[in-house]
Amino acid sequence: MNEQQTMLADMASALFADLSHGATLAADWGRIEDMGFTGLLLAEESGGFGGGWADAAILFRLAGYHALSLPLVEAVVAARLANDAGFAQHGFGTIAEKAEGQFEQGRFTGVVRGAAWGRNAAFVAAPAPGGGAMLLSVGDAKVEERENPAGEPRDILHFSGAPAATLTVDLFALGAAARSMQAAGALDAALALAVGYVNDRKQFGKPLGKLQAVQQALAVFACEAAAANIAATAVAQALDRGDFDYEVAAAKIRTNIAAGIGTAVAHQAHGAIGFTHEYGLHPLTRRLWSWRSEFGSEQHWSMILGHHVTTADADHYWADMTRRSDATTPSSPGCAGPGEQA
Amino acid sequence: MPFGHAGSPANRDGLVQTFTFKPFDMPANAAALREQVRAFIRDNMTDGDIARRANCWQVNDPDFSRALGKAGLIGLSLPRQYGGHDRSALERYIVLEELLSVGAPVGAHWIADRQTAPLLLRYGTEEQRRRWIPGIAAGEVYGCIGLSEPNAGSDLASVRSSARRDGDGWVLNGQKIWTTNAHIAHIMIGLFRSEEGSERNARLSQFLIPLDTPGITIRPIINLTGEHDFNEVFFDDVKLPADALIGEEGQGWAQATAELSLERSGPERYLSSMVLVTELVRHAAKSGDPAAIALAGRFTSEAWTLRQMSLAVAGRMAMGEDPALEATIVKDLGNSFEQAVPQLVQQVIELDLSSDDPLALLAAQLLQVSPSFSLRGGTREILRGIVARGLGLR
Repeated sequence: MNEQQTMLADMASALFADLSHGATLAADWGRIEDMGFTGLLLAEESGGFGGGWADAAILFRLAGYHALSLPLVEAVVAARLANDAGFAQHGFGTIAEKAEGQFEQGRFTGVVRGAAWGRNAAFVAAPAPGGGAMLLSVGDAKVEERENPAGEPRDILHFSGAPAATLTVDLFALGAAARSMQAAGALDAALALAVGYVNDRKQFGKPLGKLQAVQQALAVFACEAAAANIAATAVAQALDRGDFDYEVAAAKIRTNIAAGIGTAVAHQAHGAIGFTHEYGLHPLTRRLWSWRSEFGSEQHWSMILGHHVTTADADHYWADMTRRSDATTPSSPGCAGPGEQA
Repeated sequence: MPFGHAGSPANRDGLVQTFTFKPFDMPANAAALREQVRAFIRDNMTDGDIARRANCWQVNDPDFSRALGKAGLIGLSLPRQYGGHDRSALERYIVLEELLSVGAPVGAHWIADRQTAPLLLRYGTEEQRRRWIPGIAAGEVYGCIGLSEPNAGSDLASVRSSARRDGDGWVLNGQKIWTTNAHIAHIMIGLFRSEEGSERNARLSQFLIPLDTPGITIRPIINLTGEHDFNEVFFDDVKLPADALIGEEGQGWAQATAELSLERSGPERYLSSMVLVTELVRHAAKSGDPAAIALAGRFTSEAWTLRQMSLAVAGRMAMGEDPALEATIVKDLGNSFEQAVPQLVQQVIELDLSSDDPLALLAAQLLQVSPSFSLRGGTREILRGIVARGLGLR
């Protein structure tokens, strides 16, 4: 991390730790906005941090680590898309996973699904039926409230002839990358909880952490969390380069695998206490189970990545992988805190 | 703080971060260097037995090693004055991953290039460096590592083979086992107990042992596929000069374990089955079978992640750090991937294992040899114990 990223991480982790117990949109969203986090991916001349995806990865990972129950990740992505599309709205935006319907002459009629905190958002970005993304005002929608197993709002929005702005970005891929970054943080947090628990909890006259069977299971978990974290970091690099379909697929597959293994080990290590509502494991594991399905399963992305690598000659398979990391990385645009000189 | 790193904000806030990644740039000449290796491979790799491309860093072909040495592709990061090429650690990494990805037979010189030469550079005398390193860089001198003994496997601190002072020199007695390539190697770096009655990892010393020294007997151990990789090596009053001692007397354990990050995080820890992945991609493209296409995608995700991890460790080592824990994680995950590849190919594709279909030949070879991947260089259980200690358990 560079100095500005260190500062971003410090500010974010202090705030998210403070908000980690039942933050609500009504009571706490103002604190997020005061920090200017939603403008992370906006240029400084547009009033933002001027940050890149490497910075977003830090913020999103920490949001996952603290199981932040506010739509910050979605608002950051939506703000960037709205800015790129020149779609001016008051209030925060969100992103949605899917849309079904017709988009004709700048108007959308149909259903947008999986809109995070759609009921509260001013606008929503969703994958457009014919490719690319569209931006819609939530005020034009009839909102059907839903939530994922973690209790995060995932609303269905019904539109009829609503005006929409469009842009060419692959929003589903951006969503997948964002969920990978959040999952990487949540996995590290669940690992920290499990390690702390087995070091405290005594059975057979000694801490559980002294038992080899427990140690080996947590080592497996640590390896999976490490894989998820490196995937989340590397996908941010690809997003900053601008050629990222391969890496997003690879990262979402890998973090999904890690989420499956990590949640199982975390609960096994905790025993019954981890299964209670009072204890802080479920806000992490229920999010991990939810995010594993959101923006594409292992199978979905495996097919996409599989098609990517099988359309080229197999003899270029390795060369394709190495070319992607050899590509010169533009230096990160970096970020500065609000009111700071970059 | 487990996995925390001093000074990082994550650490100050009590956050756990399992893997510290520091961005680094691949060398500017990466593409050109890859092209150089690929051209060498086109000119020097014959279309022989495809099964020999699996687990290729344990496949010996001295002719190939000599040609590679002549092309300047061994000893890349060794100093020029000893026949090396003064290139960076990341440039060396690029050459290695290119060779491994196509299954080049690099087994003969692998250990000498990876471990023997760096050890001599660090601890050897000037005379030893001049005597051995140029031959290693030329792909002509091969090495082996004498660690395991009949009663010292994962419990390496139980080694009993002894080194006794004899005038100015040393006399070695005892037995090593599972010594890969002792039968083709010119020199061994061996771990011996240099003080009688010392216990566990105290008072062990490393020795440089020319294998043509009188008193050494090498016997083959044939593996389950009928091949000869490893050996038993017997030492019967083997007389060595004083400078056979490498580094400091009694510091053998510390010296041997200091090399582990290099040994555990290299590209060979996840690429042993890569030729089968490539063959699966070929099969998936040709057949259009959705299950094969999905499997190709999954393998790509895992290989891509492991490559990022392995490169991140290489990048940190190039900056002079020793990310031992991350290196251990790379080996454990890498070995699991290498072993899963033949299992999953067999699960998803209808294979006729008696046919000469390249996919079947590679899968059959890897099904048989892959159990060794999580044994060699530290077993899975030992590695996970190390990770657990890093987590603050134990």
